[in-house]
Amino acid sequence: MLEVSGLSVDYIMDRGNVRAVDDVSFTVSRGEFLGIVGESGCGKSTLLFAVAQLLAPPAEVAAGTVTFGGTNLVGLTDGQMSMIRWRDMSVVMQSAMNALNPVKSIGAQFKDAMRAHGKFTAEDIAARSAEVLKMVGIDPAHLGSYPHQLSGGMRQRSMIAMAMLFTPDLIIMDEPTSALDVVAQRSLMVQIKELQLAFGFAVIFVTHDMSLISHFSDRLMVMYAGQLDEIGPTRAIFDRPLHPYTQGLLEAFPSIRGPRVPLKGIPGNPPDLARVPSGCRFHPRCPYAIEECTEVVPDLYPLEEALVRCLRRKDGSLPL
Amino acid sequence: MTTELPHVDLLRVEHLTRHFKIGNTLSRRTLHAVDDVNFTIGEREIVALAGESGSGKSTIARMLAQVYKPTSGQVFFEGKPLSSITSRRDRLRYSSLVPMVFQDPFSSINPVFRVQHGVLRSLKLHRPEMSAAQRLAEAARVFEVVGLNPDMLQRFPYELSGGQRQRVGFAQALAMRPKLILADEPVSMLDVSIRIGLLNLMAKLRDEEGVSILYITHDIASARYVADRLIVMYAGQIAETGPIEDVLTHPRHPYTQLLLSAVPDPRAPLSVAAEIDHGEPPRVIDPTPGCRFRWRCPLAIDTCAQVTPELAELRPGHDAACHVAQTSSEEVKAFS
Repeated sequence: MLEVSGLSVDYIMDRGNVRAVDDVSFTVSRGEFLGIVGESGCGKSTLLFAVAQLLAPPAEVAAGTVTFGGTNLVGLTDGQMSMIRWRDMSVVMQSAMNALNPVKSIGAQFKDAMRAHGKFTAEDIAARSAEVLKMVGIDPAHLGSYPHQLSGGMRQRSMIAMAMLFTPDLIIMDEPTSALDVVAQRSLMVQIKELQLAFGFAVIFVTHDMSLISHFSDRLMVMYAGQLDEIGPTRAIFDRPLHPYTQGLLEAFPSIRGPRVPLKGIPGNPPDLARVPSGCRFHPRCPYAIEECTEVVPDLYPLEEALVRCLRRKDGSLPL
Repeated sequence: MTTELPHVDLLRVEHLTRHFKIGNTLSRRTLHAVDDVNFTIGEREIVALAGESGSGKSTIARMLAQVYKPTSGQVFFEGKPLSSITSRRDRLRYSSLVPMVFQDPFSSINPVFRVQHGVLRSLKLHRPEMSAAQRLAEAARVFEVVGLNPDMLQRFPYELSGGQRQRVGFAQALAMRPKLILADEPVSMLDVSIRIGLLNLMAKLRDEEGVSILYITHDIASARYVADRLIVMYAGQIAETGPIEDVLTHPRHPYTQLLLSAVPDPRAPLSVAAEIDHGEPPRVIDPTPGCRFRWRCPLAIDTCAQVTPELAELRPGHDAACHVAQTSSEEVKAFS
């Protein structure tokens, strides 16, 4: 349904271009839940914005295509894009407090969204708004409420309701739960999964918290320094991470069960995208790096059900 | 035989309460941010204070840092009440013994000065006996303790990553030879791969420098990783407290059970079927007696709506404020 191929995004700066997303390719099938994880500055949000064609200067797509339902979205005009965005593909932003208009009621914002993308009667709009709000477990009486009258969890749920106004095929979510408490986070995740099972839309879910999506996503994509490092079935990645970076990320989480073991985390810091290391971008932090890793740029290599960007996986010199 | 001095806790909090007035002259109402909270922090101890946003965690830290005055109740530091601190000298001494490390490493360091500025300034203020050369040597020493290269002292904050800036925050605190560091969500803004390094640093400060830490967090897993004891707050009151392993393996308060059931754990088997709790923590405005969790609690009985539960010891050193848990001999599970 969605095919991203060789996508690169540059930020045009005075001191030269910075490549925030570098040659990323992946697909999303109908009804699939794809999780994208990575640290801040790894390009995951820029990638999402590029897929939804929401990039604003100084960012621009430098290469590649985003094919959605047979159409290449790269280079479409705003007018053409508005026929697709929100109707077939919608976006839920990180902070609902900032994404919702504070001086308009929830119902008025739903109305604006529907008016912008089609012709509807006032009754249709009222009926559909009440219906989507009920789907996310909020009393339709709140259509008259303003964002500040709702709790953080309710605001985020009403954003998701808004994204479902036209029952799109794909909903893109950028850390929708990161501003919430654990209990609200858990209940929102369960709800997204239930809605997805009921309506069959696909989800691209971006987060920095791998453990959050471990039970919800079908496939997982790990990004590092603008590149795709590993992609594969979620369960397989959690059971047997292939890339040393993914291994490091998984070992950086303390658990609330089992023995208390000392953890190391990953030494060093993520690189500045304007000055990426030579060879494999992870080699300065990698415990398994060899001479070759500092010079040769690794490709994505298929291994079992996954693709992994690691030279030592290609030649099999790193034991599993 | 040596005579033993009577044991004094490093910090003891008694009936600590903080209310905020809200509304206008026509509708005066009171927000109960913290209500009748009692706890202690010992020497060389990391105590985790956990709870949802709005549960009163940060208000407690601000009262301990003397940013807010308590509405009622008392804080004792090394046996002496904070209300007895009146002179500027005593206030400086207290704030150097109990410094704070903030959540946001991007806004808590002055961007126009080199990072040595903050460390040297606090040394000058709090340890006036040192010469300029001694101050520089001490700044280099604390930077090494927190795992930063002393060369970093000459850098500007924008040249540092988030993890490094947060280490600068701990270095500034450490320069004052503190007894207790108040750390308000010190790792929540950092990337996952960096967080564990900061948690390890907190454990190192306890083990090697003998500093106690009040670790305020909403992340129970990270609390378990570093802390010795856990205090769970709900709606301005303590719901449960005890040695952290005991609380996590035998949670007695239904809220603690709910909190633990919501923690994502990739190592645990898949269980999407878990019952969903749509409840929200209450804003505690002009509360009536009774348990503040009762609207979300599947175990609530009539007493819960009438009598505010008090903390009572249910296991050694492990207290919970729950009528049901206190009256039943077995461990009751509301959420699992």
